[in-house]
Amino acid sequence: MTASQTEHPATTRPPLWRDAVVVKWVAQVFTLVVVVGVLIFLVTQAKTSLNDNGIRTGFDFIKTNPGFQLAEGIDTSPATGGRALYVGMVNMFRITFVGIIFATMLGVLVGLGRLSGNWMVEKVSTVFVETIRNVPLLVQIIFYDAVITQLAPVEFGVGPISGWFMVTQKGVSMPRIFAADGFYQWAVVVLVGAVVARFVYRHEVDRRDETGQDTKPGFKAMGTIVAFGLLGLLIHPLFGFLGPIFGGIARVIGAIPPGAVQLALIALAATAVVIWIRRFWASFDGPSGRAKLTDDDWFRIVFAGIGGLLVAAVVVLWPGLSAWIVHSTHDFFRFLETKFEFGNWSRPLDGMRPGVIKPDRFTSFSPNGLTMSRAFAAVFLGVVLYTASFIAEIIRGGILAVPKGQLEAADAVGLTKGQKLRHIVLPQAFRVILPPMGNQYLNLAKNTTLAIAVGYSDLVQVGQTLYNQSGRTIEVMAIWMLFYLSVSLGLSSIVNFWNVRLKLVER
Amino acid sequence: MTDTVKQHRDLSNAKDMIVCQGVNKWYGDFQALSDITATVKETEVVVVLGPSGSGKSTWIRCVNRLEHHQSGNIIVDGVELTNDVRNIEKIRSEVGMVFQQFNLFPHLTVLDNITLAPKWVRKLPKAEAEEKAMELLEIVGIPEQADKYPGQMSGGQQQRVAIARALAMEPRIMLFDEPTSALDPEMIKEVLDVMKGLARSGMTMMVVTHEMGFAREVADRIIFMEDGEIVEVGTPEHFFTDPEEDRTKLFLSQIL
Amino acid sequence: MTEPTSPNVTAGGRVQLARPKEPYIPPREWIRDNLFSTPFNSILTVLFTALVFVMTRGMLGFIFGHDRRWEAPATNLRFLMTQAYPDEQYIRVWFTFGWILALAGLSLAAWNAAPRVGYRNLARKAASVGVAVALIGLVAPAMSTSGRLQYVLIGAIPMAAGIIALKILDNHDTRDMSAFVVQVLVVAGIILSLWTVPYGQHTFVDGAARVDSGTVAQSTKLPLTIMLLVIIAAFYVGRTIRPHFKQLKAVLGGIWLLSPFILTTLVLRDPAFDSGHLLSTDIPIGLAFALGGGAILWLLSSAKAGETGRIAAAIILVLAFASFLTPMRMIVRIDALMLAGAALSSATFAGSREARLRFVGGWMGAIVIVNWLVTATNTPSTVFGLPTGTFYGGGLTLTLIITSFTLIFAFPLGVTMALARTSKMPIFRVMSTAYIETIRGIPLITVFIFFAIMLPLLLPDGMEVAKIPAIVIGYVLFSSAYLAENVRGGLQSIGRGQHEAAEALGLTTAQKTLMITLPQALRVSIPPLVGQAIGTFKESSLVLIVGLFDLLFIARNVIPNTSGFLGAQREPLMVASFIYWAGSYSMSKASQRVERKLGLGER
Ligand SMILES: Nc1ncnc2c1ncn2[C@@H]1O[C@H](COP(=O)(O)OP(=O)(O)OP(=O)(O)O)[C@@H](O)[C@H]1O
Ligand SMILES: [Mg+2]
Repeated sequence: MTASQTEHPATTRPPLWRDAVVVKWVAQVFTLVVVVGVLIFLVTQAKTSLNDNGIRTGFDFIKTNPGFQLAEGIDTSPATGGRALYVGMVNMFRITFVGIIFATMLGVLVGLGRLSGNWMVEKVSTVFVETIRNVPLLVQIIFYDAVITQLAPVEFGVGPISGWFMVTQKGVSMPRIFAADGFYQWAVVVLVGAVVARFVYRHEVDRRDETGQDTKPGFKAMGTIVAFGLLGLLIHPLFGFLGPIFGGIARVIGAIPPGAVQLALIALAATAVVIWIRRFWASFDGPSGRAKLTDDDWFRIVFAGIGGLLVAAVVVLWPGLSAWIVHSTHDFFRFLETKFEFGNWSRPLDGMRPGVIKPDRFTSFSPNGLTMSRAFAAVFLGVVLYTASFIAEIIRGGILAVPKGQLEAADAVGLTKGQKLRHIVLPQAFRVILPPMGNQYLNLAKNTTLAIAVGYSDLVQVGQTLYNQSGRTIEVMAIWMLFYLSVSLGLSSIVNFWNVRLKLVER
Repeated sequence: MTDTVKQHRDLSNAKDMIVCQGVNKWYGDFQALSDITATVKETEVVVVLGPSGSGKSTWIRCVNRLEHHQSGNIIVDGVELTNDVRNIEKIRSEVGMVFQQFNLFPHLTVLDNITLAPKWVRKLPKAEAEEKAMELLEIVGIPEQADKYPGQMSGGQQQRVAIARALAMEPRIMLFDEPTSALDPEMIKEVLDVMKGLARSGMTMMVVTHEMGFAREVADRIIFMEDGEIVEVGTPEHFFTDPEEDRTKLFLSQIL
Repeated sequence: MTEPTSPNVTAGGRVQLARPKEPYIPPREWIRDNLFSTPFNSILTVLFTALVFVMTRGMLGFIFGHDRRWEAPATNLRFLMTQAYPDEQYIRVWFTFGWILALAGLSLAAWNAAPRVGYRNLARKAASVGVAVALIGLVAPAMSTSGRLQYVLIGAIPMAAGIIALKILDNHDTRDMSAFVVQVLVVAGIILSLWTVPYGQHTFVDGAARVDSGTVAQSTKLPLTIMLLVIIAAFYVGRTIRPHFKQLKAVLGGIWLLSPFILTTLVLRDPAFDSGHLLSTDIPIGLAFALGGGAILWLLSSAKAGETGRIAAAIILVLAFASFLTPMRMIVRIDALMLAGAALSSATFAGSREARLRFVGGWMGAIVIVNWLVTATNTPSTVFGLPTGTFYGGGLTLTLIITSFTLIFAFPLGVTMALARTSKMPIFRVMSTAYIETIRGIPLITVFIFFAIMLPLLLPDGMEVAKIPAIVIGYVLFSSAYLAENVRGGLQSIGRGQHEAAEALGLTTAQKTLMITLPQALRVSIPPLVGQAIGTFKESSLVLIVGLFDLLFIARNVIPNTSGFLGAQREPLMVASFIYWAGSYSMSKASQRVERKLGLGER
């Protein structure tokens, strides 16, 4: 039974139009060509249409005076179009950030409420969820806005809690606690405390595993952080010395010529490419020699090559990129330097003074207490309630997804209710909950764009004003796209990171 | 289990149905088939034996190109398996396959499962395809189940439907990959009976199975594989009573 | 793995759920167990009851407040529904509504979809509705005593009826009735009240709103009564013909699919066909493609066509694309693309003589319908004196039009994207992944703004697109990315064995996809797909931002600006919210029922 007994008939190559591999690739390349062709056609068409209509293009509006004021933000009369967009982005992050925190808290409460054994709590939670999530978010935002607009006009000392908590036509206002100069030094102390707390936690967990007694690792870790926080109030000026160090770093970075950064970036990209290629080839080397490359592998090589070339082209052809990296890093360290001013050295306890500022008239977005403008309040209420109703369903689903058998097993080994929740239900539910939760955060971030309907100055609203003034529609839209894509990418990579970690723990 | 051993038939003049020459296949670094060379004659029943992971499934799946071999030739009924679309189409409708997990289509009734391919691949009119399907259900012994869904049937019934589905394409060769391994003992017999009937009717068959009784009774030849290679080939008589290779002896001593 | 046939599996492979028997618990025990089981629970109960009380009172205070102007939405109800659809043509709107109701009635009967409610459950519901109505009278702030008394008295009727029924019925009574009948009875009661109760006639004459006493206008109550009769009649017709008409479901599905096109292009905007143009160009083009294309497809679907057929189909495809490079009527290009698609799929659908005949017949039908609709869209309307091709009409109608067209077009695109993303072909995979992830990364509102402003600039000379179609195109592209992800989940749940079995039988990739993988994948994806449909309905409200006159726009921007209702924004907004809520809520409830019926989502 060896091959030599019979002659091998020569393998016949099928004609091209019948070769499955050829047909497959021709179809793909044809589609690609058609799609790319259509895109190119649309772009040229857009160009000619713009020219015909006498619309100028270009990103110069970023550098010129936008000629309008913003309703609220860190800078209400921005000097340049770019600054205006930046303020819009910050506004978007403000609302997204607080929105995520509040929506999560409310959502978890409502989700647990829906599982409550208390009929009243369960019904109220259910009605909340079924009402809120079935009315479009935009309708809600507009409705809240309409309601707030029809409230009492601003006066000093209106209610509900005069002088402390005011709800008026122009928004919501309450006192705020602020941190003064020494805050950053204090934060460093707390950071050190967090590192120490981690060790404490590990140690206590190990001790629990060895001795079998409940050493309360979480509690002790929290205690450590609190202790450091208190200590920090006294010793934080110690860290004033960090200021000059940051200043030094800033000066060094400021001195780097952008060209050098460009070279470094190119070198980095080249190294990454080389490493990738070597890994790729290495993956084909086995004990039985080199495996054959499939057509998919070739595609990967081509695709990676094109991607690499594009990145290289951007780095080489756009010196602004490296200049921007240098400047922003420099500015960042300068910022840190000012925050660590040496001057606080002599006044322990004084740096970190929490102060309470009561609300004031709604003149502008300034430290008159913690104010929420009408538009902010409407969008905030909208996204928080809406997202919370979805989060509640996710929480409920996640907890219900824990198999009954698990709970029975926990009962069998005699865990208490709290232990059951902490060690059995939550860890398992968390795994189910996390991915859809990440999706909800993404949705919330994207939903903040509805702010445009009530005139909250987020990126889209500012952008729209900007292109109405300057006529640079395409450019503004490109900036929108880039911004939201990177936000989505950033958020989803954070969620993925946790997801992967949880999966690893699972094994 | 009966101990009847099938009488040896002289098939040397019969037509070659499956010819494998120097077939190699790798999964990444791992060589799943090495230098497989074998021929299956018309009406011959070949049983492939071997320990788990020896490459039996891989080989049988290469024969109807569910897997692609990387070197060597496989010629089925005179048609070589290459990337040629026409050849693949031809082979697929000439080679029937029965899987360990039945793989019936759960959203279709039994009748639709059986008539689907005849209607759309063989292009038979609906009435004709259904008539044929009923005949086949009669042969495998479950004509009354025609309007049920696979999920409503026992494993043995499902596997018999799977056989009927493959036969509906009027294949010249049938491949079986452990058709009884997922079945409860009481259902194994009903499936094996159908297969025996098929063998008696002169179908060319390649069967991967762990049913030694079936191998003895039905096989014309037994091929023993290990680590992707063919170790020994012989008639059942020879194979079970007087194997040559040590590896075969070891395998038989473990399994019998 | 398989399990022996179990008794509760019925024909169709569906699991019939037996209605669980609820044990009877005396009220006192129930209250103790559910409200006051622990001190903590008691506190919660008290707190939440207070909360509910305060909230309800606030809500009722808002609804019955003296300065509420409910006459704003009441007078402008027609505006909310259809915007300024001409009065003398309004019969078209009622016809559309009736068409939809008739289809709904037939479908309810055909799918046997109406759930059933138990008698006890019904009695309990009646009692709780009565309690709720009575509570309105008791709790609402600022209401006259006679008003309160009215509410209490009206509430007492169903309350008493429900309680008496509960007393009469045995605790384990298992009788039930169709929920459809109950709903029809309730709606009938409401419509009857239109004829008898003096709600007042709200009219808008010479720029001023007037409220006359008496029952609502004849032009409201009469059509609504007819609508009720239509759905009842349709339901019973459906019930009667169901046993005799095997393809009823398929036919209904087809009509549902075509309805948005027929209703918008033919009924609502009644094209004024120009017979000269029809005879000289439209009909010849249609006929040429129907017959010529039919002949080509007949040849291509022959079993002997083989690769020659495929190469011919590929050539037709290239020609169809090439037609975009030369000046030509758009309809010719569309027909050519359709022909190319049909030619490429002819190998898939080719079969016996009967199958080929059906294939060619289907082609001719499709060409006739498409050409008719395209011509109708490009013909000026008799209803609106507006430019060619535009559809003018707003309010809820526009919301529904945008939603249905988006869903209809996003579905095939999304499925294609899902298939591409799960395919083994790398370029397809990368392209669809890039598309899906990009779209999912950007907010819908930017897509709308882009398509409202930019699409007109992107089109070649001589091609125009009105704002509504432009927005719908953007919405389709947006929704399809999400739809693709939902379908992909279903596709990935299909085991390798199914693919292998299909391949081993000799099915081509297209046949395998259409007949084996997609049907199974879509069934798994029903719940997320319904969720997405609801989302599409809700998020269509975003067209407000680009200035389309949808339901929300009219409620928010139009009504509060009409003279007489200046600043009355919250009332119409509440009505709009309620409409959105009712639509989404009923859809999600229906989908939960389908899910349970299919035995999905059970672990
Ligand atoms: N898709 C795949 N990728 C990588 N390795 C594979 C793949 N399919 C099979 N193998 C490997 O190839 C070898 C042969 O597998 P095969 O399924 O042919 O064994 P078998 O003889 O049928 O075993 P069994 O009796 O358990 O079915 C095994 O070691 C298996 O791990
Ligand atoms: Mg195997």
